[in-house]
Amino acid sequence: MNDLERVERIKAALGERAVEITNPAPQRIFLTVPVQALVPALEQLKTELGYRHLSTISGVDMGDVFEILYHIGYVGGNLNVRTRIPKAVPRLPSVCSVIPGAILYEREIQDMFGIIVDGIPDGRPLLLSDDWPAGVHPLRKDWTPTRPEEKIPGGKS
Amino acid sequence: MKFQIPIGPQHPALKEPLSLRMTVEGEVIRDADLRLGYNHRGMEKLAEQRTYLQNIYLTERICGICSHSHTTCFVQGAEKLMEVEPPRRGLYLRYVVAELERVHSHLLWLGVAGHEAGFDSFFMYVWRDREIVMDILEMISGNRVHYAINTLGGVRRDIDEALRQKILDFLGILRTRTDYYFKLGVNEPSFVARLAGVGYLSKEDAIALCAVGPTTRASGVAFDVRRDDPHGVYGEVPFEVCTADSCDVLGRTVVRIKEILQSYNIIEYLLRNLPDGPVAVKAPRRAKPGEVVARYEAPRGENIHYIKANGSDKPERLKVRAPTLGNYAATLVMLKNGFIADIPLIFAAIDPCICCAERTVELVDGRSGRPTIVRWSELRRMAARRAGRVSKKRNVEWPL
Amino acid sequence: MLKRLVRWSRIKSPWILHLNSGACNACDIEIIAALTPRFDVERLGVLLKATPRHADVLVCSGPVTRQMKDRLVRIYEQTPDPKFVVAVGACALAGCVYRGSYNVLGGIDQVLPVDVYVPGCPARPDAILDGVVKLLGKL
Repeated sequence: MNDLERVERIKAALGERAVEITNPAPQRIFLTVPVQALVPALEQLKTELGYRHLSTISGVDMGDVFEILYHIGYVGGNLNVRTRIPKAVPRLPSVCSVIPGAILYEREIQDMFGIIVDGIPDGRPLLLSDDWPAGVHPLRKDWTPTRPEEKIPGGKS
Repeated sequence: MKFQIPIGPQHPALKEPLSLRMTVEGEVIRDADLRLGYNHRGMEKLAEQRTYLQNIYLTERICGICSHSHTTCFVQGAEKLMEVEPPRRGLYLRYVVAELERVHSHLLWLGVAGHEAGFDSFFMYVWRDREIVMDILEMISGNRVHYAINTLGGVRRDIDEALRQKILDFLGILRTRTDYYFKLGVNEPSFVARLAGVGYLSKEDAIALCAVGPTTRASGVAFDVRRDDPHGVYGEVPFEVCTADSCDVLGRTVVRIKEILQSYNIIEYLLRNLPDGPVAVKAPRRAKPGEVVARYEAPRGENIHYIKANGSDKPERLKVRAPTLGNYAATLVMLKNGFIADIPLIFAAIDPCICCAERTVELVDGRSGRPTIVRWSELRRMAARRAGRVSKKRNVEWPL
Repeated sequence: MLKRLVRWSRIKSPWILHLNSGACNACDIEIIAALTPRFDVERLGVLLKATPRHADVLVCSGPVTRQMKDRLVRIYEQTPDPKFVVAVGACALAGCVYRGSYNVLGGIDQVLPVDVYVPGCPARPDAILDGVVKLLGKL
């Protein structure tokens, strides 16, 4: 089936949960859902329509909201489910009950943005080093790294 | 009685720092855990401070073995954002280099698998023939690794008629050598028996845990981005998706060997039908605001880049998910109920590109909770001893 | 007399340990390729060893990440004297493209004292051999 048929089927299945659905390029569909409807929508997409391969979860810092995208692959293209959460209260429900393979991507989001994922089975930090200061999240736009002191062997500086 | 053993960041077999933590009972692994972060270099933050052209060189150095796959994925996305269409000849050359990289990566893996199974002479043979592929790449691009042949709008270098003929001749030599290795597989039952039954991953687990690449194709799941989401020239080039049904390391070896043969066919098709014309068009400096998702089938699995542009000459956000990160959850499942001596083999079977995804492995002793460091060389010696015991028990056929 | 014998054997047959501290892998594959039949470093007596306790020369690649820093120092201390450090690749020299990242401290010489620098991205196996031979000339 081609893109237009897919868009129609998703609209029919999700009903009012789908806030906005676009097809900007061939083989790419972008769908926006509110954060409360995220887990039921993904469950419906997986059981009724067969979208079950999650490629990754990306986050973008847009100033005062975080935009989280779930990239789901299917035979014929790529479906991206978008949801927005406010930066002041960054809480996201975990999708590991629907797609068990999402655990590492959610841990990465926790580390990089400081988002708290509710219901995550294993919430340890993934990528940052053991001596990383707590509460500092590298991918937020309002944090710039300070370059460490560099010593030059031989004594010149 | 349970022990937890850490395998620390430095070890001789794998070339990258990784730390696994495993709970073992006797010689059987009950639980596995991993610690990532030794290789985390902050690429995504660095990419926001560099222009699109500089980012090509940055994404190249995410990984040394699959470097062309990261640049091609990035350039595919950036070209869509800038609405630039590369000319046909440039596109064909780009994918010739991509398939050559797939060949070199799979040959590298074959050598490493032989080394982990204790078959060192196989390792030396395969890497000697891999040098032929490195010579071809050096003739095309000037460097053995990090070819930097992509640019926004096409490729940077062209090949002439003499070089094209030379590559076709070298391909012929490579085909005879690869045939020799497959016959070696048939005549070497201890090698086959060592690989069979190790690292079992069922089809349902592979789908639920979102595994990618040859790891999941060996469990019968026909997931290949070249067919599912055709990009570049893959819509017009004839090729097959290679799968196997045995769900273990032997299946993964078979899938990779079949893919090498498919790649030879693709390279020949592309070189014989190479169109004439320019190899690049000029691309603008700025990208219009928008977002794009680019996917690519790297030698290890599905590579996905998400780029968001805000109208300036630097990207707003670049998100990279390399294939090995997708396979990690599946690896932990494969390690459970395996033997310690199988760890190097299972780990090598997913073809880990740790630098692509920052991983570490530590084994933790179950009962006392004290971490002890077991060197990878110890594990490999155990693996070699086990190989000696195994060969008499199993009677496995080489499936090719 | 014994000292001369030991010195001769150290020059004729250095044993190396390969350390990767967060690199992209290209230099490491070139170091392994130096062992394969095309370049064949074993004919010069160089053996790739598994543990720091057996090694004379530490061949390091990659920029130093924050997580790897303590481990590098620990492995350096585990190597018996006299030991030498060879930094391979542009990352190990000064950080290559990763300079300025929040998790990268720079080249290997921020953490360990380096004897030989081998440039390249990645350094060719011939260049690595040249570096090891120049090191032996210094002994």
